[in-house]
Amino acid sequence: MLLKITNLNKSYPEAGQVLRDVNLTVSEGDVIAVIGPSGGGKTTLLRCMNFLETSDSGTMEFDGAVYDLTKAGKKEITSIRMRTAFVFQNYNLFLNKTALQNVTEGLVVARKIDKKTARKTAGKALADVGLADRLDYYPNQLSGGQQQRVAIARAVATNPEIIYFDEPTSALDPELTQEVLDAINALAKEGRTMIVVTHELEFAKKIATRIVFMDGGTVAAEASPEEFFDNPDNERVKQFLANIGNKQ
Amino acid sequence: MSDRVIKILIESFPRILLPGLKMTVPLTALAFTLGVIIAVWVALIQYARVPVLREAARFYIWVIRGTPLLVQLFVVFYGLPSIGIITKPFPTAVAVFAINEGAYAAETIRASIEAVPHGQLEAGYCVGMTRWQTVRRIILPQAFRTAAPTLGNELISMVKDTSLAANITVMEMFMTTQRINAVYYEPLALYIEVGVIYLLFSTVLTGVQRLAEKRLSGYGRR
Repeated sequence: MLLKITNLNKSYPEAGQVLRDVNLTVSEGDVIAVIGPSGGGKTTLLRCMNFLETSDSGTMEFDGAVYDLTKAGKKEITSIRMRTAFVFQNYNLFLNKTALQNVTEGLVVARKIDKKTARKTAGKALADVGLADRLDYYPNQLSGGQQQRVAIARAVATNPEIIYFDEPTSALDPELTQEVLDAINALAKEGRTMIVVTHELEFAKKIATRIVFMDGGTVAAEASPEEFFDNPDNERVKQFLANIGNKQ
Repeated sequence: MSDRVIKILIESFPRILLPGLKMTVPLTALAFTLGVIIAVWVALIQYARVPVLREAARFYIWVIRGTPLLVQLFVVFYGLPSIGIITKPFPTAVAVFAINEGAYAAETIRASIEAVPHGQLEAGYCVGMTRWQTVRRIILPQAFRTAAPTLGNELISMVKDTSLAANITVMEMFMTTQRINAVYYEPLALYIEVGVIYLLFSTVLTGVQRLAEKRLSGYGRR
């Protein structure tokens, strides 16, 4: 077991309870696809796990150490973030930095790796996502798909123990989603541990080792991809899949 | 225009321009630089939402923006000596102009910081950077780009406002002109002449501003 979330609760003043007693266990090499209807708490779960939101209650066990999600200190939070990575729906590349600098920033500034080594690592990470010829481009000179691939390179370059993807293709034009999905798929094949919030069910089925279905702020079902898609035993999952089927 | 006036104008030109270069330019450069430094801190204090300091920052901006620059100069230069604080004209002018500029620029910079998308900070956090590292390397550079045109305007205003320093005996261009006029009594010609020199300074700065904005116009945006 690499990471374990226990009894995570989160509510917002306006939206009410968004997460209810969420439990999640992640083992090394897991590729967990988190799916479910909008507003089910998927994104909030990821954000709480990386302390972008403060949870109301819950604990995180990460590589043997236990953290209280409500009162982890700045240092603890930073040290956890150093060992994880986050890919945002709308990329969030540093707008004043080139593609290369976007990747080196976390290496040089946060991890104090020397510039030369960082540049090498970053160059390789960008080459891996097919952007070796875009190192000196600024985000606004890149397409959405390219920006998201830079974001993936930025995530991978720090060699994190777990990568969170928050709907990585939702902001993209349909014709640009494939290049991003391919990049994520390549990481799955490398055996990287990842949690991917996604609406791309075909993709989830293909890359996930486990599907977590969230609805109404809880983990409503958890199963292997085959079980989940071909043989669901949960009413809400059946309904969700039927709804999606009808739309397509 | 009589030959006499033309002769006076020609003779006085270098005599006015020289204090311009020796006083007005350093006064503006120093005060503006200090003012922007003050402004960044005041803006960051508000951005960081430190309760007491934040109130102090609001108070500072409120007082400085709500009172005339000339009054501020008089309070410090002629007022403070009565409680034993005596300051020299030039440093006083630098300090007052800097504090004044700080209040205006703080609002400009605060607004520019707030215009930087929140995701930039979160992205910094997620690559392991601290808040301060992200602010310094990601947020502030973007905020300055947004603030640049307004700050440029404020710089040009300040060049002209330095003429107020004449009131606290700083021998800058305007005061020099007053002195020359006291000798020759050609107020129309001489005050127009000093006006033209201010215009010259402003024009140069406007040109620089335009160039700088072109350079700064968006990261790689074409």
